[in-house]
Amino acid sequence: MSLVLVLLFVLFLLMGLPVAIVIGASTMAALNLGDVPLMVVPQQMFAGINSFALVAVPMFVLAGDILAQGEISKRLIAFADSLLGFIKGGLSVVSVLAGVFFAAISGSGAATTAAVGASLVPELKRKGYDPASAASLIAAAGTIGVVIPPSVPMIIYAVIAQESVKSLFLAGFIPGVAMGLGLMIVAVIQGYRRAYPRGTSLSLKTIVRTFFAASWGLMAPLIILGGIFSGVFTPSEAAVVAVNYAILVSLFIYRDLTLRGLYRIILRAGVTTAVILFVIAASSVLSWTLASWQVPNAIAALALSLTDNVFLLLLVVMALILITGVFLETASALIILTPMLLPLAAQLGIGTVHFGIIIVVGLAIGMVTPPVAINLFVASSTTDQPVERIARAVVPYLAVLIVVYLMIAYIPVIFAN
Amino acid sequence: MLKVLGWVDRIVGAVLGPVVVAGMVALTFVISLQIVSRVFFTSVTWTEEVARFLLIWITFLGATLAFQQGRHIAVQLARDSLPANLRRIVIGAGILVSIAFLATLTWIGWRYMDLQSFQRSPSLRIPMNNIYLVMPVASGLMAAMSCIDLVRLLTGDTTIRDRMRDVVE
Repeated sequence: MSLVLVLLFVLFLLMGLPVAIVIGASTMAALNLGDVPLMVVPQQMFAGINSFALVAVPMFVLAGDILAQGEISKRLIAFADSLLGFIKGGLSVVSVLAGVFFAAISGSGAATTAAVGASLVPELKRKGYDPASAASLIAAAGTIGVVIPPSVPMIIYAVIAQESVKSLFLAGFIPGVAMGLGLMIVAVIQGYRRAYPRGTSLSLKTIVRTFFAASWGLMAPLIILGGIFSGVFTPSEAAVVAVNYAILVSLFIYRDLTLRGLYRIILRAGVTTAVILFVIAASSVLSWTLASWQVPNAIAALALSLTDNVFLLLLVVMALILITGVFLETASALIILTPMLLPLAAQLGIGTVHFGIIIVVGLAIGMVTPPVAINLFVASSTTDQPVERIARAVVPYLAVLIVVYLMIAYIPVIFAN
Repeated sequence: MLKVLGWVDRIVGAVLGPVVVAGMVALTFVISLQIVSRVFFTSVTWTEEVARFLLIWITFLGATLAFQQGRHIAVQLARDSLPANLRRIVIGAGILVSIAFLATLTWIGWRYMDLQSFQRSPSLRIPMNNIYLVMPVASGLMAAMSCIDLVRLLTGDTTIRDRMRDVVE
């Protein structure tokens, strides 16, 4: 039965069916062959999404989408520029810092890439930066969007692994900042090699001015994350506070959002999340089926029978996560991998939170590895550069992200607490 | 015939759009109410339940809308590298798989709703089949749209829902 399930899954996936249908149809066929009453399908589909924690997903997507457009992102970038623009190749370093700022507002990699890309790329082009390289750096920095809280994949992981969203969010800070620093180092080296210009010179006056100009945007992460970590709001409530805040600022303070525009953003956020949650619903049937056949435990037992070298096994698990991230979109990969690998991770002595960071960062890296590379596509459409050129230029950034990834996995003292 | 089908298809999209937006607005409103009432008055107990039910409805109806717009996540690299004739066959087979799955889901979703008709929600005492109704409705609509796709494919119409690569996350 497991074999039928795997074969049908791969076949349907290659046929280009929607992932939710791939999962649902292959599981249903296998259940039917195993004479399991199909009533379990609706039961598990509803159980999978009947969760208050998941309410945070549409709300964080919506808040991020509203804040990513227009004035807020422009002012945040101006502030980032006043801080780091003086470095050689400063504008590319700024694009990474802007990505880090945005990661603390938005929970998705694509939204972070879009927000930074739309406002920075014209400037980068004008100052003589290689456009494909600049676009690929912004795409790479976009991966930080799901590592620094809030983060949609972390919410999904927390729900599947029955871990608290808050502890995952807390654990995301240091890895996210480390990814940002790694990218900045590469950007500075390239800045010297390619003799890029220096940007805004460092002045306290500019920093103070742009800081106050950006204060509405900078306040958003304070409210969202401060509210969650102080225990005033649950993550789902904080997401709704963020939505209200974003709407108020955009409609009444910056006035760069019309009601018609708001309607469109809400519709897009609703459809975006429905697509993810529908995959989650279908996957809960799959996870239930695999668990009832003891597959996750069998995977753990098999892996441990081959070697008991924890170092090596973790490396294999990380390779598996990266490869899955290359071919599958983040949410689907996360929903399929998490239940299968959790028992093995526990056997390896990796805590649920640390493993969550490992899986989320690994799949985030998958956002810049073609063929399925959402951040590259977003960067390509916001910059009019062909995806192939951006994909070639992303290689050095990808390399540094993988180095940081290894550090996150193997130095839990620093990267997971 | 094709014109009528295209028209039916677009109506589904035009109706579901405002419904999904209304669901999102209601979700925001209900949780805002929960926060305000907890911070300033006494906490209300039914808001979490309503939020979860709204999420279920948004998921299924939003998924139907995404289906209509061809926006579901799919990996189409392998399929698109096939020669044109073979690709048509694979697309056709895919549509048949979808129809089989969605029709079964409609049927068991309906039976599940029937079975649960005596159950009521813990807080608001809403009959649970009101919530479960969304599964047969959504999968029925998606099955119908798949049938439209099949007719289009067989008649050589090229306006097939082929924008599924618009990957969102």
